Amino acid sequence: MEAPQYVAARVQQALAEDGRTHELGIRVDIRGDQLFLRGQVSGAEQRERLGQVAHEAAPELRVHNEIKVVDFSEPGEDEHLD
Amino acid sequence: MSTLIDLRIAAVGDIHLGEDVRGQYRKKLEGIEDRADIFLLAGDLTRHGTLDEGKVVADELRGLTIPVVAVLGNHDYHSDLQYEIAAELRDAGVVVLDDDGAVVQCGEHKLGVVGGKGFGGGFAGKCASEFGEREIKNFVAHTRYIAEAWKVALKEIVADHRVVVSHYSPIKETLEGEPPEIYPFLGSYLLAEAVDTAGADLIVHGHAHKGSEKGMTPGGIRVRNVALPVLRRAYGIYCMGESEHF
Repeated sequence: MEAPQYVAARVQQALAEDGRTHELGIRVDIRGDQLFLRGQVSGAEQRERLGQVAHEAAPELRVHNEIKVVDFSEPGEDEHLD
Repeated sequence: MSTLIDLRIAAVGDIHLGEDVRGQYRKKLEGIEDRADIFLLAGDLTRHGTLDEGKVVADELRGLTIPVVAVLGNHDYHSDLQYEIAAELRDAGVVVLDDDGAVVQCGEHKLGVVGGKGFGGGFAGKCASEFGEREIKNFVAHTRYIAEAWKVALKEIVADHRVVVSHYSPIKETLEGEPPEIYPFLGSYLLAEAVDTAGADLIVHGHAHKGSEKGMTPGGIRVRNVALPVLRRAYGIYCMGESEHF
């Protein structure tokens, strides 16, 4: 059986290198037969693509897609660089 | 102390636009001309560096009434179309820096902006050096070349204020929150050393989504990580005052 660390590394590599995703900052954790994705992306479709690519890279694991879509607000307060 | 005639710099990085979010970022730019005198973009404007994504970015930035200055990031290089993406942005009125500088008139201020993508290598005491295999030498030499180009551009530029825009980080402080093991891929102290040598008022960068907003070079130049996931706002606004009386 492949060590979970190598599986996680393979999934992370797939997320970075797959033409559908190219996402570098996603954390991949494996516990037993469950795979957890965490991080932030710019859109909901990208989050879904990441879940799909992770599933394809490790089809034997159940993927929990906990990636958040970056929610950003209005510009807010200025900073004065005195 | 009071300050008069502030120069207001809006900055953001890592907006990572694609067709599925077309128009969404533009909505957040409404009113930017009332809040800032210039808009700086610190790279990773696209996700995969495709020309289609580059066109989305160009459309989001087109027609803003304040000057827009951008550098590209590593994502924008991924499809080897960085020059084509830069051309799309320039066609939309964006000044795109590639290890060079430009002087932009912002109201009453002449702002010198220098920068480019930057690159990695790590930070003093824990960094790669030009030694050993050709691949490692090339990696470090690339950063060294960039740092030297920025130093020259900063020295040549004549302006009231000087700002550096980078994608990669020049310091460790603004990476705090990222795993330390990947710091060498997030920036290089050579960038900070070059800017400290030539002088500037502010450095903005992106790239480190889990990093921290505020830091300072060893020479005391303020550094701001303006990656969108760090700011969690459409852009940061940094003001430089003409300190006319105390």
